[in-house]
Amino acid sequence: MEGWDPNTKSTLTQIPLLTTKAGPRDGAAWTQRLKEEYRALIAYTQMNKSNDNDWFRISAANPEGTRWTGKCWYVHNLLKYEFDLQFDIPVTYPATAPEIELPELDGKTQKMYRGGKICLTVHFKPLWAKNCPRFGIAHALCLGLAPWLAAEIPILVDSGMIKHKDDAASSNES
Amino acid sequence: MDDELLELQRQFEFAQQAKSSIRLSERNVVELVQKLHELRIIDFELLHTVSGKEFITPEQLRHEIAGEVKKLGRVSLIDLADTTGVDLYHVEKQAQYVVSEDPGLMLIQGEIISQSYWDSVAEEINERLQECSQIALAELAAQLHVGSELVASVLEPRLGTMVKGRLEGGQLYTPAYVARVSAMVRGASRGITVPTNLSVLWSTLQQLLQEMEGATGVAVEGSFFQSLFNGLVKEGEVLGTLRAGLHWTPTVFAIAQKECVDSFFSQNSFISYDALQKLGISQPIQFLQSRYPEGIPLVTAFVHPSLTEMLDAAIEDAIEHGSWLDSLSVLPTSFGSQDAYKIVSVCPSLQSALKAKKVLIMGDSYIFSSSFVKDVYDRLEKEMETFSHSGSSANMLGDDSHLVKEAKARQDLSPFETGSESGNSKRGTEKGSKKKKGESSVTKTVSAEGDSENEDYIPTKSKKNQKKRKDTSSSQVSDSRKGAKKDSIKPQEEIVPSEEWLMQKLMVLVPDFEEQGVDDPQTILKHLADYLRPMLINYWKDRRKALFTENVEKMKRLLDNLQRKLDESFLNMQLYAKALDLFEDDQSTSVTLHRHLLRTVATSIADMLFQNLDVHNKLKNGTQVEDSQSSEGISLSPGERTAMAKSFPGSQSKRALAVVEALEGKRVETFMAALRDLAEESGLLLKKLDKKLERTLLHSYRKELTSQVSAETEPVLLLPKVVSLLYIKVHSRALQAPGRAISVAVTRLKDKLDDSAYKILTDFQTATVTLLALMSAATGDEQDCLSDRILSEKELLGSQMPALKALVLGSSQS
Repeated sequence: MEGWDPNTKSTLTQIPLLTTKAGPRDGAAWTQRLKEEYRALIAYTQMNKSNDNDWFRISAANPEGTRWTGKCWYVHNLLKYEFDLQFDIPVTYPATAPEIELPELDGKTQKMYRGGKICLTVHFKPLWAKNCPRFGIAHALCLGLAPWLAAEIPILVDSGMIKHKDDAASSNES
Repeated sequence: MDDELLELQRQFEFAQQAKSSIRLSERNVVELVQKLHELRIIDFELLHTVSGKEFITPEQLRHEIAGEVKKLGRVSLIDLADTTGVDLYHVEKQAQYVVSEDPGLMLIQGEIISQSYWDSVAEEINERLQECSQIALAELAAQLHVGSELVASVLEPRLGTMVKGRLEGGQLYTPAYVARVSAMVRGASRGITVPTNLSVLWSTLQQLLQEMEGATGVAVEGSFFQSLFNGLVKEGEVLGTLRAGLHWTPTVFAIAQKECVDSFFSQNSFISYDALQKLGISQPIQFLQSRYPEGIPLVTAFVHPSLTEMLDAAIEDAIEHGSWLDSLSVLPTSFGSQDAYKIVSVCPSLQSALKAKKVLIMGDSYIFSSSFVKDVYDRLEKEMETFSHSGSSANMLGDDSHLVKEAKARQDLSPFETGSESGNSKRGTEKGSKKKKGESSVTKTVSAEGDSENEDYIPTKSKKNQKKRKDTSSSQVSDSRKGAKKDSIKPQEEIVPSEEWLMQKLMVLVPDFEEQGVDDPQTILKHLADYLRPMLINYWKDRRKALFTENVEKMKRLLDNLQRKLDESFLNMQLYAKALDLFEDDQSTSVTLHRHLLRTVATSIADMLFQNLDVHNKLKNGTQVEDSQSSEGISLSPGERTAMAKSFPGSQSKRALAVVEALEGKRVETFMAALRDLAEESGLLLKKLDKKLERTLLHSYRKELTSQVSAETEPVLLLPKVVSLLYIKVHSRALQAPGRAISVAVTRLKDKLDDSAYKILTDFQTATVTLLALMSAATGDEQDCLSDRILSEKELLGSQMPALKALVLGSSQS
């Protein structure tokens, strides 16, 4: 579990683990799995809220629950930077982790694959593989996206690659 | 769609919609507070914890500090800073505030300590103390991590209440322990009977305690003993005096000391400092002076005035009787001479006598009355006079040594062995006999009267000596040796009186020096001699000087006289000697004549010269010569002459001996030469005979002879004179002829005289010869015929005398 900051770790351990090993093609088992995913997400969200650390909103975009969309944000220098968030559940899930995309930031940073998929740390994959099928969407967000945002957004803001929407508006106005 | 799933979806939705609880970050809060502070909404001081997560008001901090102190009793500020999480600086500040507010707290070395803490500590200590009976403060302080002084200051008010014990020299003791140690101290100090240095005692006690308690026992400080001891002294449990805080003199000792001193002093009325020192009194003089203010401190002893009175009486007696006194003999034996001097000097009688110059102190302890010294001096002066009268100093000194021996012999009956050995016994015994007769008269004139007495004296004496010799052989040996030494030394010394001589003299003069039992009379004699000697020497010098001036006069006179006489007689002699030339051809007659001349005229000249030279020499040496006149006519024997010649100094003696020799010879000329030499050596002038002088001399001689011839009645004596007169007439030579040479002289006149005159002369001569032959033949018996013949011859001669006289006188007249 090395490679993550203590906050992330403590949070991760508090997210309930999943038990069902099923992908989107496994029918009823997937449903079962989806239920578990929801429970985990609820717990994670509640945890974030209680810690005044709410940072995303997601919802299933299709009834099967294989595509998810939503928003995520990060506060830097008292300014809230908000981005769209989307990802699909791969068919080999849960052996393969979902690839989280931030389409707005596509091409603005090197830590990103084409299409806005974020690059995860080298530690992520082994950890995920090790914890399959206990890790779910909530874990992926917590381990993948949250550290990425914390690392990349300040750099992007300072380098001027991204601008706060107010600033952008004001600059547009002017 | 699964209901459950839908439900979960809704729940998730709801969870996401739910308002998240707002949380301010620390940073925000800090900023907020700062803002509030800036805006003076918070108008009091606000402290923050070290972590920066908390703000705290000073009141709260004080409260917390107080609470902590109350809980623990003793808190270090550093600990407080930790527990409150506030910076040490603020903690210190607030702690000071807290401590100043609460009198029950104290801030010591970064620690706040409450009285209750001390109380509990005191209780603890008390418990331990009751167990161990003694605890070192240092130990406690180390345990509590505070200074021992602090511990002491804290414990002091609690001693006796919370801590049952006493604090002594950094140690806590229980009363029982103190009692035990104080009992030890009391026992030890009561056991002491001599002055002691207390620290020594304490160290032994310490050792004792250590042994009793084993190695674990804490060393008890000497000061603890000391304070216990001081307490005991104050309470009067031990008696004595303490000097310089350490020197303890028990009363017992002091009393014993005092009693000892008192008893000795009252019994003997003196006490020596040595004795006091033995008793342990280090400063005897001060001690005694404070105790006996009337006493007199001397150099080695302290005396009561009563002793002085005794001495005073003795001195007074000595002065009154014109005697002397060795103060040491009156004083106790332990007194030294310096003591004697000191004590003597305080005697009132002596002081008054000294003022009146009636007394002399010699060699510290000897006291002589002036009259005594004067007496001795006078006697010595007389002695010196006789000394100068007697011949040589060596001789006299030799006598003296015998005299001293005599004196000694009378004292301890020692023999005068040395005297007899050196062959002087006779003189010695002479002196001895004289001594016997007149005790103190020491005259040195050698008189013949003692001879007969000596002869019976010697045997008795020697017998006595032999008897006593056995008893006192040892002392004799030394004596005789001493005497022998003196004998050998004496002659070398000058006439000036030597110290030894003086001492011996004094011994003889004042025999009571020994009679009084003085151990070593030499010392006192030496002092006296030292005193007298310069005076005597002065006197002696004066005498010498006077004598010299006197003698110079005498010498002058003597030499003048001598010169005159010598001139006269020598001229005569020359005159006579000339006459001898007539008989040069006749050997036997010449010898006879030479001898005659030497015997008569030359001898008298030589004697006269010798005697005068002798007197002169003596005068020169400063000796007194009184009867130079009486020695004029004395004729000397050859032996005496030789002795005298030998006594002359140097070359004079040689010449004189030559003269003596010549006197025994046969030639007048050799004598004359020797005599001239001697005279020249002696500074005298011998006149040579010249014509003019010869004539006058002859003339006077002839005149004299003529008058003698005319006055002469004895025919035998007439002949030589007539013959001499005839020789003067005929040959103008003065002839001195002995009887034997007369006939030859007469025959020689034959050619020069008339036949008748010659006839008368020869007749007279033959008649004289027969008369003399007859007279020599007559032995005094009454042989009538012989005496008749002598008578007839005499008559014949008597008848012829006028013719003979006429022959001479007539011719002279014509």
